[in-house]
Amino acid sequence: MASEDEHAFDMLMTRAGVAVDPARREGLLAAYRDLLAATTLLYAPGLGEAEPAMVFRPDPLGGV
Amino acid sequence: MTATAAAKAALARINAADYLLDAFITVTPARAMAEARAVEAGFVSGPLAGVPYALKDIFDSEGVRTTCHSRLREDHVPATDCHVAERLRLAGALLVGKTGTHEFAIGGPSFDLPFPPPRNPWDREHVPGGSSSGSAAAVAAGMVRFAIGSDTGGSIRHPAAYCGVAGLKPSYGRVSRRGAFPLSFSMDHVGPLGWRMRDVAEALAVIAGHDPLDPGSADLPVGDYLRDLEAGVAGLRVGVPRGWFAGAKGADPEALAAIDRSIALLREAGATVNDVTLPDFARFAAAGRVILAAEAFAVHARELRARPGDYGAIAFQRLALGATVTGADYVQAQRLRRELTAAVDDALARFDVLLTANVLIPAPRFDARPDAMAAGAPVQMIQFNLTGHPALAVPICLHSAGMPLGVQLAGRAFDEATLLRVGRTLEGLSGWEAMPHPRPR
Repeated sequence: MASEDEHAFDMLMTRAGVAVDPARREGLLAAYRDLLAATTLLYAPGLGEAEPAMVFRPDPLGGV
Repeated sequence: MTATAAAKAALARINAADYLLDAFITVTPARAMAEARAVEAGFVSGPLAGVPYALKDIFDSEGVRTTCHSRLREDHVPATDCHVAERLRLAGALLVGKTGTHEFAIGGPSFDLPFPPPRNPWDREHVPGGSSSGSAAAVAAGMVRFAIGSDTGGSIRHPAAYCGVAGLKPSYGRVSRRGAFPLSFSMDHVGPLGWRMRDVAEALAVIAGHDPLDPGSADLPVGDYLRDLEAGVAGLRVGVPRGWFAGAKGADPEALAAIDRSIALLREAGATVNDVTLPDFARFAAAGRVILAAEAFAVHARELRARPGDYGAIAFQRLALGATVTGADYVQAQRLRRELTAAVDDALARFDVLLTANVLIPAPRFDARPDAMAAGAPVQMIQFNLTGHPALAVPICLHSAGMPLGVQLAGRAFDEATLLRVGRTLEGLSGWEAMPHPRPR
């Protein structure tokens, strides 16, 4: 039976429109789990909570 | 030596050794000789007049195929040169060939591609590191004095460390990326690898500078990278983020000993060296990997959908992975990036340079290599792609198994001159400057 993260992986690949050859699936799934574990560090309390990033700031026309 | 003699000598060295190393995908004798004749005729003069060099095969070269080491671009022949090749041509340098890489600078070393992977000149059974594998191998083997590479997560410094050459990832925006096939827009850097620190400094002096056609290019003055190269380190302050590497899983004791030896050498030469605390390396790596994966998928999404089977297995795995990154992950990684960059800036307000590990093991054999892109991999270079600070691989000594070991230096944004100065000092004090080129075995 497929695990929860396998379902998520398959859904994400389907949504992206990328067909994964069965011979390549196991390696990509392992890489996905590895990255997923690292991603939790992005949401650690106290990190990046208040700081906005990549804020869009248009320049005024004509350099006014 | 005349320019044509220099070109012929480099081509002869490539002919004599590359059948063992596969450093080159395409050798360019016609172009090298034409550029040499232009130098001798006086049409071109410059600081690198008559110096042969090699170009990683993700950089466009006019009339010469640029494959990205991939089946997808096997027959791609650009109409124009990339920006760095333009600058090098005007400086009198001679392009002798295009070097092997990991597929699209991310997937390798691989044996399922149209071209074989480059091999390490110190021992052909060992990987040369990547992705600028052929550039490092060509320099280490003495085929060329310097070569151009790209670095998105360590791709200049990793092969430089494994092959025992100097490799510089300049500050983000210091060198134009125009005409280089992108991997990750906000993490890609272009820089030189050289046999000696001076070779790196001379190449950087030519390729650094503003290019309005690269949106990431910085419009800032270019430093003088040669003036203080021999000035030593007396009075400089060196910070050591020991927490990044001291307890790292799988670190080779000799690799850690090379760091300690470098610290001792700098102290003896008059530098002040102190430990510095920075956020965990794992946080830098997590943010860097998420951003790289998402941006690389954005570059490759169309081809991954249309021609997945034309990618090698490793490139497909690493590029398709980006489809799993959510928008929230990417934004959160960018927010964390700002905090981590500020932390490094704070440290560099107190220190002139940071000294840390680059690779934590010597170059492994092809049949025993760890996944360099996985969490906990024995490589620690992506943090400076994330923050944009310049970083330099400095060879120090040989491991008891005969493969090179070294350290990584990082500095303030756009202060490559201080990095090269410290690197040159270590090159001399460690005795590496007397190291002969390896004979491929």
